[in-house]
Amino acid sequence: MAKPAVSGGVTSTDNVRQQPGIGAHLTEILLQRREASIFFVAVALAVYFQSSNSAFLSQGNVRTLSEFTAATAIISAGLVMLLICGEIDLSVGQTFGFAPIVMYIADQTLILPVAIVIGLVAAAIVGLVNGLVTVYLRVPSFIATLGMLFLLGGLNVTLTDGFPKPTPEDSFVTNALGAADWTGIGWCIVIIFLMHILLNYTPWGLHTFATGGNIVGASEAGVKVARIKIGNFMLCAMLGGFAGLLEAFRISSIDPLAGGPNTMFLAVAAAVIGGTALAGGVGTILGAFLGTAVISILTNGFTLQGVSAYTFNIILGIAILVAMSLNVYIGRLRRSGAT
Amino acid sequence: MGYRRAEASQLGGKRLSRREMLRRTAMTGALAGAVPLLAACDQPEDTGAASGGSSGATAAGGLFPDTPEYNFVFINHVTTNPFFVPTQYGIEDAEALLGTTHQWTGSEAADVQEMVDSLNTAISGGADGIAVAVVDPQAFNDPMQEAIDGGIPVVSYNADGEGLGTNPRLAYIGQDLFGSGVEMGNRIVELVGEGPVVLFIATPGQLNIQPRIDGAVQAIKDSGANIEFEQITTGAELPEELSKIESYYNGNKDVKGMFAVDAGSTQGVAQTMEKFGLAEQGVKAGGYDLLPMTLELIDAGHMDFTIDQQPYLQGFYPVFQMFLYKLSGGLSGPAETNTGLLFVTKENVAGYLENASRFEGDSEEQKIIEPAS
Repeated sequence: MAKPAVSGGVTSTDNVRQQPGIGAHLTEILLQRREASIFFVAVALAVYFQSSNSAFLSQGNVRTLSEFTAATAIISAGLVMLLICGEIDLSVGQTFGFAPIVMYIADQTLILPVAIVIGLVAAAIVGLVNGLVTVYLRVPSFIATLGMLFLLGGLNVTLTDGFPKPTPEDSFVTNALGAADWTGIGWCIVIIFLMHILLNYTPWGLHTFATGGNIVGASEAGVKVARIKIGNFMLCAMLGGFAGLLEAFRISSIDPLAGGPNTMFLAVAAAVIGGTALAGGVGTILGAFLGTAVISILTNGFTLQGVSAYTFNIILGIAILVAMSLNVYIGRLRRSGAT
Repeated sequence: MGYRRAEASQLGGKRLSRREMLRRTAMTGALAGAVPLLAACDQPEDTGAASGGSSGATAAGGLFPDTPEYNFVFINHVTTNPFFVPTQYGIEDAEALLGTTHQWTGSEAADVQEMVDSLNTAISGGADGIAVAVVDPQAFNDPMQEAIDGGIPVVSYNADGEGLGTNPRLAYIGQDLFGSGVEMGNRIVELVGEGPVVLFIATPGQLNIQPRIDGAVQAIKDSGANIEFEQITTGAELPEELSKIESYYNGNKDVKGMFAVDAGSTQGVAQTMEKFGLAEQGVKAGGYDLLPMTLELIDAGHMDFTIDQQPYLQGFYPVFQMFLYKLSGGLSGPAETNTGLLFVTKENVAGYLENASRFEGDSEEQKIIEPAS
């Protein structure tokens, strides 16, 4: 990084362009790619935690770290789609708890794969309702999904009688869906990859950006903005529900209090840290994944260092503020570089 | 069409000078630099980090040999709840005697996933012992077993899943929850005799309170007394609990006894008793735990009893048990420990009210407490 870009005294931008050194090259990537700065922060944190505790990159802890990351990153990917549209789903943390509960109830009478599909369909219906209320009744999504948050929170406790339920017996299906080690992060990587393709290389992604960037223009250009928004609400809810299923199988318990606002806020924070704008029009899936990784590394690293609960949130809060300030700062450089 | 791409391509049009780039990107390193400082802030002088477990030998008191500075991790379901302040004092006092350290972690809001993650992190961080509040019947079993297989002693404290044999812990240190419920049920039968009675619970299904209400119900049924009882859910937050209890009373004024199995609902019952002057009308009341308001209202005669489960001991004994396990190579240590069932009534409440102490969590001062006169 410190290697000089060009020989001393040369400041002409033309010369820099002719002979880019490694340092300049890295900096350029850092400034050009929205995800690069957060990637750098993640690597720096990993290096720091590894140097202060050699257990950080041990196999056992990397597994734990991947478990920290997987569910939040999947939810975050769904939220990115909505945030780009200029909407938000506050209820996604409750959908995370709701899908496994519906799956559990369906599993009492049906075979497991069908029950899982029903759980996901239930999540999709939640998303559909969120979308319809937002788009057609014109209730701001912040309020519509806040209502859904309470509704599902109550349903989750009611449907389980407030008591945690066991997940179905271990089988190929449960192992493939989170019960076996590393499957959670495996699904996460596949989903992040597919969502990245969807957002960047398909008309759906293009229309999503258009809807959030300039809804009137997009609509006049023939983009079916209502369909895009409702679709993304459903996508986000299904990803939330799927993450909930993975987590339920992983800890082999279906907890009525699983997920909730905390899970949702972490996913929103991860998306924003990764470079997605709350105001819409801008966002990246890879950034959301890296944002989740940063939060997970911070959480896991500090826990590993023996930081106790009282001080933990102080440190995590400051770390998020610092990470975000840096990210916004670099974002500003990116824009000023463009003028 | 997206802003994102437009922005990125515009940037390509202009490069920054080297100096500019260095100046601007230097900030990026600041986070990595800031983190160690933050972490350093957290380390009190007398407690090390999880990683520091085997760094220095420390002398435990008495005739024990020099031992490494064992680090014991406590996984809790409500890390910032005032109930567990005495538990943490218990841990600190035990470790001052034994030369160990601890980490207090888990979830603030009974998020089981978060607790499991903390447990796994404790295992990979090489904890010397782990104490878990087992508030879920299933979720902790695999990681607990993994820890035990890896030679880390694991005990449960405060909550024990569905009880002995349902999870792999070596011992449970806490109240015999069902047993305490039975005692409460017996007391209810004795106080009320007959008539309608209500039992309040904050969150049904939570495994540190549900067994109590089950025990109370069992005892009332077994007694054969002519008591009809209802179980009412009050919710997890104090204001909500109080208003639920008040509205229950307003709708059921013939109730002969109101009892609760968690700290918040107990305070709510006491306040409702006071508000409507129910003790004078012969309504009986009781509950669990030692919230200051509960104690004051017992002293004022508005409530008949509350049950002290001695949270201090739920921190103190696990440290000793895990220390002895380490010291003896597993030959001694984990033993089932019932931290008790102490009925606090108008007769003995003075001792709690007069003395702020580490044992109740309302004072951190180290001192000898004289019994109340």
